[in-house]
Amino acid sequence: MGETVAGIVANPASGRDIRRLVAQASVFPTAEKANMVQRLLAAFAVTGLDRALVSTDLGGISATVRQALGRGGTWPAVGFCEDDPLTGTAADTTNAVRRMVEAGAGVIVVLGGDGTARVAAAACEDVPILALSTGTNNAFPQKREATVAGLAAGLIATGQIDPDLVTHRVSVLEVVTKARREIALVDVCVSLSKHIGARALWDPTSLTELYCTFAEPDGIGLSSVPGQLCPSPRSSPDGVALQLGPAGETPYVVHAPIAPGLVRPVGVRAWGVLRPGVRVELAAAGGVIALDGERELELKTGESAFVELKPDGPWCVDVRAAMAEAARKGLLRAETELGKERRR
Amino acid sequence: MARTISYREAITEALAQELARDESVIVMGGDDAWGGVLGVTKGLVPRFPGRVLDTPISESAVVGAAIGAATRGQRPVAELVFIDSMGACFDQIFNQAAKFRYMFGGNARTPVVIRTMYGAGLRAAAQHSQCLYPIFTHIPGLKVVVPSNPYEAKGLLIQSIRDDDPVIFCEHKALYDTRGEVPEDSYTIPFGEANIVRDGGDVTIVAIGRMVAVAGEAAKELATSGIEAEIIDPRTTSPLDAETILDSVGHTGRLVVVDEASPRCNLATDISALVAKEAFAALRAPIEMVAPPHTPVPFSDALEDLYLPDAQKVLNAAKAVVEYQR
Amino acid sequence: MTDTLREAYRVMRTIRTFEERVREEFATGEIPGFAHLYAGDEASTTGVCLHLGDRDAIAGTHRGHGHCIAKGVDVKAMMAEIYGRRTGSCHGKGGSMHIADLSKGLLGANGIVGGGPPLICGTALAAKQQNTGGVGVAFFGDGAGNRGTTLEALNLAAVWNLPAIFVAENNGYAEATSSTWSVASDNIADRAAGFGVPGVIVDGFDFFAVHEAAGEAIGRAREGGGPTLIEVRSTRFSVEADGDCLKRFRARVIDSGELSEPDFDDIDAEVAKLIEESVSAAKAAPKPTLKDLETDVYVSY
Repeated sequence: MGETVAGIVANPASGRDIRRLVAQASVFPTAEKANMVQRLLAAFAVTGLDRALVSTDLGGISATVRQALGRGGTWPAVGFCEDDPLTGTAADTTNAVRRMVEAGAGVIVVLGGDGTARVAAAACEDVPILALSTGTNNAFPQKREATVAGLAAGLIATGQIDPDLVTHRVSVLEVVTKARREIALVDVCVSLSKHIGARALWDPTSLTELYCTFAEPDGIGLSSVPGQLCPSPRSSPDGVALQLGPAGETPYVVHAPIAPGLVRPVGVRAWGVLRPGVRVELAAAGGVIALDGERELELKTGESAFVELKPDGPWCVDVRAAMAEAARKGLLRAETELGKERRR
Repeated sequence: MARTISYREAITEALAQELARDESVIVMGGDDAWGGVLGVTKGLVPRFPGRVLDTPISESAVVGAAIGAATRGQRPVAELVFIDSMGACFDQIFNQAAKFRYMFGGNARTPVVIRTMYGAGLRAAAQHSQCLYPIFTHIPGLKVVVPSNPYEAKGLLIQSIRDDDPVIFCEHKALYDTRGEVPEDSYTIPFGEANIVRDGGDVTIVAIGRMVAVAGEAAKELATSGIEAEIIDPRTTSPLDAETILDSVGHTGRLVVVDEASPRCNLATDISALVAKEAFAALRAPIEMVAPPHTPVPFSDALEDLYLPDAQKVLNAAKAVVEYQR
Repeated sequence: MTDTLREAYRVMRTIRTFEERVREEFATGEIPGFAHLYAGDEASTTGVCLHLGDRDAIAGTHRGHGHCIAKGVDVKAMMAEIYGRRTGSCHGKGGSMHIADLSKGLLGANGIVGGGPPLICGTALAAKQQNTGGVGVAFFGDGAGNRGTTLEALNLAAVWNLPAIFVAENNGYAEATSSTWSVASDNIADRAAGFGVPGVIVDGFDFFAVHEAAGEAIGRAREGGGPTLIEVRSTRFSVEADGDCLKRFRARVIDSGELSEPDFDDIDAEVAKLIEESVSAAKAAPKPTLKDLETDVYVSY
């Protein structure tokens, strides 16, 4: 095996959208994102990783990591993705992930919310991603200690753990319009509102359709609606599809935690199973399509759009499985002379 | 009807009467909820709910807020306990309040009062004893008030609150417990009209703030040697009543200026320059200035007593000008 | 809604055309002093100010022409002021950095970085005292995000629960210093969290994003919900199309069928005429004279 590389993409914009204003969503501070990057790097070093490639940003995360580099500490060689000009948009995440794929990263750790993971997933090809939650909704990324995640990622990237044993492929929802092709990791929702506006989706009254890759009863975000109505586990190849309407006019109402601090009645007209490979036309003409809780696509009047559940989404690291594998193989332990002596 | 109350009570009474008279008056200051650090706002909170506001120690934000509110129809009185901490909000005073009217072509009214405590004598040392009113006097757009006794404090504070320009109202910390006759009714003392505290024909003594009382002591002593001093209290250093001072020097021919502020570019130098320029022909002796040395205010009582202008120093200065021979 | 869209575009176009013209005229040397331009950030001030009326006050920045226009200050008087004329909004005594119109609730562009936030606490306090439902909005740049005045004002607004909105226009550069160097942890929105104030980031090139977030923040403040910090992210004006809030606005609103090309062309023509007239009027106007030098220092002295 040649040089071993892992990537870290940290989204400076995650965790600070309008839901902090309309609800009491937490602010995920830049300083803590920078700390998480440093904890990942410290764990990488223990696994013997040669090089870490870190995204750059205008939000102060990479600047803080750069400053910390000068203070010593045991890290692998650290490089920054500096070849693409920063745009302050999701394109920065896409560009960084592509560079990491090109550089031969064995794992890419993604710090962000559902939106960030979605953008990274669209660009990571077959490189496994490990999404850590630093966003608002977080139906997809895990809330995990970065140090442990860094050990798991480092052990995979250095080839000490076989990725086939500890990663799994998730389904995605693919949305196709005349001009764009996008994916969602958790949900696709159609809104009657005309403009993307402040992006985050927080007002359920304008929603008409919802599609989810999975629906867990303890979920947060829009997938919590089917989560309470027609749960569908992450392990299932099927997803769910719902017709929504104003809470007063529908046969069902779910009191759903659609965002931190916001439990709203969501009216449901009907629901059903969404099978993989079935293309569904969205009745979205002139409205807005939200992906993983963020309004993303504005449709022109009369423009059509389709959604399809696809089984070939990104490979995702199962941190628990990876650490269990590390324990089984004894990768993070060693027997000392004293131990050998005792055994004799 | 006049009765005897303290300088502190006179200020409280002025605030209370203006709060009662005019709904747009609001008061804000540190610890105002329990009467303020100076005890001046004691009892006002329950009497005027929602209009006497407690503030964090944030000079810029509080003074800025008072200025901002003044542009929107309020008449705020902000208390900034020590004049020494004004450095933390000079910008809001110098660059915002003082400039609005001119900078906006006359289309601004900023009726804000900033009450603050100045002066040495309580062994409070260098950071809590300064007399910084000359700094504010220097700035066009500000008015600066330096009341010398309880009567002056009440009338001048009421005038300050009713005035449409930003006012820096300087209260001497050693005067709070001094007592004097003060009418119960509301009254105002106009700005820019000096008070002739004592008539006399031999020497004019212009004194600022607490120095008015010091000059008074000296004048009594001088009278015993047959020297009659005319004491002038300018009341406001901006606007300054030049006319009263010049008239007085016109008939005495001699000037002593007593100023507790540091000696460079203080009111003593300002008034001396004014008289030297406008009344040179009347002068029969060089002007004397009684001010502290050009040092920070010392802590030790021994040093602070040496530092401060006192009746003896004023007496010496007055005698020097009266006895001056060409 | 189409009226709002028209008005939004008219304001943004007025700011853009005004600033482009000031830039041109400044190059001729006829405009005295400094002129800091706002072009590029039109969506920010417009998205906020469209929610405001006479009971609301704003404080601008040294890059303040946009705030003035969006708050409804007379454009001709503004241009005359920048030219230092007697007919200017401040009779030639303020200039580019000090254009104000208190009757419109504009506390002035402000030459002092971080000068506005404390003042806005005061206007918000006045609105609260007078029960007008009014709000105060302080615009400030990423440079002012480091000023104590701004942080003190955030704290005061939080403890007094003031109807105050702090709009950080983060263009990534404080004067000429890249803010990744000058701002420790360069999300100004993060700082709001330290005061228990909601802090959100919106795309400064997107009128709709700013308008929605500002609408929520202002509505919340009017109802007694307290202060909000909105960080409007943009990079300083460059001519790249995707970073141009006007082009983006126009394309989207035409796509959605809400307005048509001729609607926009009409506004462009109206604005061009207004700016042309304001420049010729300014050039023809008299300068202030000796008799103006010492007036208006005090209301009375």
